[in-house]
Amino acid sequence: MKTQTTNILEVTGTVLNIQRYCSHDGPGTRTNVFIKGCSLRCKWCGNPESIRLKPEVSYDPKKCDGKKCSICLKAPFPEGGFYFAEGDDSKVKVNWQLASRVSSEIASLCPTGALEMFGKTMNVGEVLDEVEKDSSIYRNTGGGMTISGGEVMLQPDFAAALLEEAHNRGINTAVETACNAPWSFLEKVLPHVDTMLHDLKLMNSERHKKWTGVGNERILANFKKAYETFPDIDFIARTPLIPGVNADEEHIRAVLEFIKPHKNVIDYELLPYHRFGLGKYESLGVVYELDDYKTPSDEVVKRFQVMIDEAFGRNK
Amino acid sequence: MSTDKRNKRVAIMVGAGYIPGINAVVAGAALSAGKLGWELVGILDGFEGILYPEKYPNGGLIDINPQILNLDPNTGSVLGQSARVDPFNVRTINELEMVEEVDMSDELLKKLKAEKIDAIISIVGGRGMSILYQLHKKGLNTVCVPRSIENDIASTSVSFGFNTALTFTIDMLDRARLAAKAARKIAVVEVLGEETGWIALQAGIAVAADAVLIPEIPVDLKNVAEHLKNKMSGKKSWGLVVVAQGAKIIHQKKNEEKVSSLKASLSPLATGDSNSEYVINKSGQAAQAVAEGLQLRIAEETFPMVIGHWVRGGAPSAVDRQLGVAYGAGAIQALEAGKNGVMVSFVPPDVKFVPLAEAINKVRTIQAESMFFKVANSLDIYFGKKEASI
Repeated sequence: MKTQTTNILEVTGTVLNIQRYCSHDGPGTRTNVFIKGCSLRCKWCGNPESIRLKPEVSYDPKKCDGKKCSICLKAPFPEGGFYFAEGDDSKVKVNWQLASRVSSEIASLCPTGALEMFGKTMNVGEVLDEVEKDSSIYRNTGGGMTISGGEVMLQPDFAAALLEEAHNRGINTAVETACNAPWSFLEKVLPHVDTMLHDLKLMNSERHKKWTGVGNERILANFKKAYETFPDIDFIARTPLIPGVNADEEHIRAVLEFIKPHKNVIDYELLPYHRFGLGKYESLGVVYELDDYKTPSDEVVKRFQVMIDEAFGRNK
Repeated sequence: MSTDKRNKRVAIMVGAGYIPGINAVVAGAALSAGKLGWELVGILDGFEGILYPEKYPNGGLIDINPQILNLDPNTGSVLGQSARVDPFNVRTINELEMVEEVDMSDELLKKLKAEKIDAIISIVGGRGMSILYQLHKKGLNTVCVPRSIENDIASTSVSFGFNTALTFTIDMLDRARLAAKAARKIAVVEVLGEETGWIALQAGIAVAADAVLIPEIPVDLKNVAEHLKNKMSGKKSWGLVVVAQGAKIIHQKKNEEKVSSLKASLSPLATGDSNSEYVINKSGQAAQAVAEGLQLRIAEETFPMVIGHWVRGGAPSAVDRQLGVAYGAGAIQALEAGKNGVMVSFVPPDVKFVPLAEAINKVRTIQAESMFFKVANSLDIYFGKKEASI
């Protein structure tokens, strides 16, 4: 038993960050563990720094000292990766084409912290020691640990070990997933999950492919199989609500029809589109592909919520 | 790939982002190559034609014969278009049906070699030029043609596409001015220009705008409002403000979106500041901010307008047609002269060749001593300062 526990603690993965005191991602007050790597490319993604599996460099111009420092203009930083715009040496500019392969060792040479790595390798023990700090809060609120991302199923061995160790320590577990992964990956993770928050982004496969990069056949099949194979998991369906993409009654109705036959789908949550993640795109040199979309109005969200409440027999 | 002067097989491709009249560059290259007895082929849709030839019924390369080339300026590029052109980051679906970006630069070079292509003429903007520079460092023979609506590529006086955008913008500003006159309001028109204000400044001069707000001069709207108030205190009952997309407005209250109910699944690095200077896609935000900011400060009504993507369509201007042909021919001349890893540059009256290493990482901004500022000052065009200077 001791040997097995040690092995679990040593399993490593790429973690983006760990956020305490979260209240929107599963029951009670929770600690969210964001892991890196995603198998979709949703145009509205609010966590672009979680998309790539490997750690990557980011740049925050607010922290840059410009010409006073200039360290990134010389080796070992890549040639042409950093430069000054004509007439402005207060902040360096980044040529992302040439700078994107900066390693964590090189980024750490930036004395002001303007260059930072998104993502670091951690083992299960390190993550759980951080998560366990709020055990008393979890007990008082019914909370626990949620693994978010990125896509949790992209690091199935690491996720499974994290979840199993959380259970070993008496911590409730949840995952947020879009389930675009082979079933064999889900099979590793789901036995250790208490609550699964899962995204039903678009029910039409062609449109799903247009907006996320892949069709939804496997995703829907995975959801169905998960509902049937793991009856003890509390499943919570979710839709990121994007005006002009899926913020319409037809989509909400289609999702309700999909989840309704499965009694272990205990809720359906709407996540209205927002633009909070936009600043992160520039810090990574990544182009935000969605045009000028607005957060859906409260009225629209309320109207859909009424449909959901009716379907779940919660009419007031 | 060789760089000797024997009969060459040269390919031509277009980077991401549409600019009208690219056929002019292709025609210039085709005519010039034809004269030398060289073969010119076009790569369809960026690099997709060479990376994924199976997607095309007749292969991803097309023969560019000057005789069959359609030079009608109202047609799109014969080379097609790709939304993303970066062989170092090609979005693919892997064997596990997961989306990922992979480096296909080696594959690209191998396929070009297999097609016996000696060199590539690349019609690209700033980012594309960095990609071609990377490929050049890996062994690709290339000559780049600068292409930019904003005219922000350094080492050349004018990039292909700028004059067409400027011409269209002036036309739109004329219409906006009439609308402002009729409505007796202030039209605030946002034009392209994220890094630099060439379009805003030159178009603003052409239509004698009341104010021009550009990225090079941070602007306090209080000063602009004062200027407009003075101008409109007499007989003039309308106004026209031209604002570049990347204009830097200082002392402006930011619109904070409510956060609490939208935090699900959001990593802790997100901020509530969607109008931050670090937001990339800001189309319409500058016009909105300036129009609102002015209306709050003076007793006049404003209305925002955005030209945005409209400039990317239509026929090229006469200047761009000539420039395009010259750039295309210039690229072939560069290859004939044994040049490689260079950008064709127009420095009147000459066409020159600038090493890519010198062309990248420089943004062509408007300098304080620019004669355009002097002209604008004489027309009483306001920049947020009494005298237009940086």
